[in-house]
Amino acid sequence: MSFFGFDATLPRDRGHSSKAPGFGQAQDAFAGLSGKGVADDDDALDFEETYDGLGDQLDETDDTFNDDTFGNDTAQAVGKDFDFAGQTSRVADAIEGEGLLWQAKQPPPNIHATRHNTQPAKPAKSGYEPYAQPTYIPDLEANASIWGINPKRQAQPQQSHPRQESQAPPAAPARKMMSLEEVEAMMLSQSKKPAPQPAPQAAAFPSQAQYPAQYGQIPGQQGGFSGPPQILQRPQQPPTSRAPPQAHAELPGHAVPPPVQQQPTILQRSRQSGPDQSARHTPVQHAQRPPSQPRQILQNPNRLSGHGQPITQPGQQRQGEFQRGPQMGPAHARGPSFPGVVTHPEQLLHLTEEERAAYLIEDAKRAKRNHKIHLLSKDNGLMTPQDKNFITRIQLQQLMAATGGLEEHGPEAALTEDFYYQVYCQIRGTPRQNPHQPASQFAQTYLFQTGGRYGMGRRHHRGGDNHMQRMEQQVQRAVEAAKAKPKNKQLVIEGSLGKISFSNSKTPKPLLNIKRPDHGDGTQGSGRRPSGVNAHGSPIIDRKTTLRNIENVYDCLMKLEDHERRMPPPLAENSDPQTIQAHMEWQTQTQKLHETLWQDLKIMEPINPNSLTPHPFIAILSHAKGKKAIPRIFRQIDEQQRIIMLTMIVVHLDMLSVVAKAIPSADEPNLSPAIREEVELFSHAVMPPLFGHIAESPLNIVIGLLGLILDRTNLHLVARTKIGMSLLTMLISRAELVKQSTPEMNPGDWEQWMQLYNRLFDAVEPVLPLIFPGSVNDTEDVYVWQFLAAMGVGASPEQQQRLVLGVKDRVMDTVAVSKALPAELASVRLGHVNLFMRAIGLDVELLG
Amino acid sequence: MLFFSFFKTLIDHEVTVELKNEISIRGTLKSVDQFLNIKLDNIQVVEEIRWPHLSSTKNLFIRGSVVRYVHLPSSIVDTALLEDASRREATAAKEKKTG
Repeated sequence: MSFFGFDATLPRDRGHSSKAPGFGQAQDAFAGLSGKGVADDDDALDFEETYDGLGDQLDETDDTFNDDTFGNDTAQAVGKDFDFAGQTSRVADAIEGEGLLWQAKQPPPNIHATRHNTQPAKPAKSGYEPYAQPTYIPDLEANASIWGINPKRQAQPQQSHPRQESQAPPAAPARKMMSLEEVEAMMLSQSKKPAPQPAPQAAAFPSQAQYPAQYGQIPGQQGGFSGPPQILQRPQQPPTSRAPPQAHAELPGHAVPPPVQQQPTILQRSRQSGPDQSARHTPVQHAQRPPSQPRQILQNPNRLSGHGQPITQPGQQRQGEFQRGPQMGPAHARGPSFPGVVTHPEQLLHLTEEERAAYLIEDAKRAKRNHKIHLLSKDNGLMTPQDKNFITRIQLQQLMAATGGLEEHGPEAALTEDFYYQVYCQIRGTPRQNPHQPASQFAQTYLFQTGGRYGMGRRHHRGGDNHMQRMEQQVQRAVEAAKAKPKNKQLVIEGSLGKISFSNSKTPKPLLNIKRPDHGDGTQGSGRRPSGVNAHGSPIIDRKTTLRNIENVYDCLMKLEDHERRMPPPLAENSDPQTIQAHMEWQTQTQKLHETLWQDLKIMEPINPNSLTPHPFIAILSHAKGKKAIPRIFRQIDEQQRIIMLTMIVVHLDMLSVVAKAIPSADEPNLSPAIREEVELFSHAVMPPLFGHIAESPLNIVIGLLGLILDRTNLHLVARTKIGMSLLTMLISRAELVKQSTPEMNPGDWEQWMQLYNRLFDAVEPVLPLIFPGSVNDTEDVYVWQFLAAMGVGASPEQQQRLVLGVKDRVMDTVAVSKALPAELASVRLGHVNLFMRAIGLDVELLG
Repeated sequence: MLFFSFFKTLIDHEVTVELKNEISIRGTLKSVDQFLNIKLDNIQVVEEIRWPHLSSTKNLFIRGSVVRYVHLPSSIVDTALLEDASRREATAAKEKKTG
């Protein structure tokens, strides 16, 4: 596209097209014809009134008058125009707005008419404008003289739009065709008659004439302007607008015709459009306006489709603002329109103080808001609310599906699943959430939270609610679905080599999947156990059996404890049958469980004194967890069973691991840590319930127990162990207490007791020096002193002497040692000794 | 769920988490989930010289799968209860299997 060609075509085309839309078909046709004709027959045009018009126009147009008058008129009109354009532009891109302005500039010449045909292509070019803007636009602006023109053009579009749009397309081509031949005819007629119609045509001519003249005469200037046109319409447009003034100044001859044209155009317009009249005041302006109108109309649609896309939104907004700006005031209409299109700073300069301030404030507000938004939402838009809700729903589904089981079975299942935590918190009193808080409650809390989050920040309460509802519904459905169908833990896709295993919170993906052979340990164990030869069999199996027994006991215990929690409300006189029924069932169940527990304890297994294998119950006690179970068992069993258990323990006292293995030997005065620990555990776990029971037992039971110990156990061994001695102490002291608390006791019983006591004393006396653990320095000998004290209380003076003799060495040693100890420790040691000494009416102080 | 249940009772206690990459981190257990992901607060790396890049970290989230050990104070473990809990779990598992 050489600008030569461009220029040549433009004037012709514009002349035709512009006239067509703006003036009406007939008139346009004339104009087009005349335009061409004018070039040929300048004389005819000149002869007519064109000369006069030129002179006025030149002075006025260049000066401010035109701008002012038009600006005022246009400003009002412009406002509307811009609104129209703005509306379209809003939808479309900023370029559209720019395009409008540029088009407005172009109109001065009649060239527009031809453009209508060619415009479609040009608009496309205008689409490129944004790229070229930086370079070309400034030039255009620099020729600010255009300003005056712009307002006019802006005003015009409003007036003529409707007409032109409808008329323009068909009219333009016809006029072009007509122009050459008709122009001549018209020229002739015009020369004869200065009729209004010819005038418009003439008006068109002058403009065209000017352009050619300008191009030809001042190629350099135009080239500077027109150079850009090749690329963009804008450059072309500005030259056209600028051209008239230049032409006027440079070429008076040429300049003359335009005025003539304008005048006629005014007349035509007056006929065609009423609104134009206000703007007609200056002929020049009118002439320029008409062309611009058609262009805008035609171009707008093109731009909408073509230009709109390339333009950026911010650009649009700005342009829109600027366009609106001009509407506000006449002054703005001129200046702002151009700069607004081109660059912000310039536009601002053109704006009035108020405008500028307002604009700046608005801009600042917008920037501030944008910044705020930016800060608030750095990653905004990554996920839409819908996305988030979707994810939340999935999570909740997973959650509910995973914990759904809990909910179904209520707190019971929760206790099963989360037993440790729940009970631990109960025991330790740790603050925690509602112990039996169902999962649904949690989910609901969560849902409300999210709902609140959405609701608070945004106005769309409704939307949030809907999401929440949907979420809740979906969760509900998910839970139901999870209930309905059993879970597949593995998915085997047909044709695939592997399987996909699912996991959830409840059943995490198993890392180890061990298959147990069908004939597992259970059958083996059970197979050998009945044989009864286990004693000679491997101890491991025996141990396994014992462990299994213990586990059975525990299982039963836990069932019992669970069962206790399920105890129905206490019965009252007015209880309804249902409650009574429940109570009955509960009682039966409890009874059954108790029986099971008792059986599991294996206490009633026949005692085989000759067996090398310990009794099953005693075996249970040899394991730590067996010992730990005793207190719990004791709670569950009745009095009779407790006595039986106590008896069992007493009978097997020397077979208890804590007794049999806890006898210090000469080689090893100190017990191994493991044994010591076991003893410790036994004395903490098993002894207290036994003591508790003994402490409430009548004398006959105490007598019976002591008799059993004396008859069935190796007292020498028992007496040398902490457990054995503690038990003995307990029995003796209990007897003493009974004696003291019940003066009128059965003398026979007491007699019996005294016999037993004497037997015990005789049995223990030989080992008195050995009953102390470790060396003198061993501080853990309290229980021995306690035993000695218990023995001493009930002993006869003679026995007491024997006692003192038996432990004299230890007493003296301890006193000696304690002298070397710090006061505190010494007093403790001496206090222990004193337990015994005072029991027999002495005191450590006496030894000092 | 036993371990989840168990670790929940350790919340707000100081534990030392040993990761599979040898890093040991001591800190206050803030939360744990069913995957045994762990959140620690006020952390301190045991061998800080070896892992200086963690010295500025104050709290962290540990994916459960990278944990090798959790060292915990024995005083806050109720072994008897833990035994019972595991029994319950075993029983439940057995019932699930047979049922």
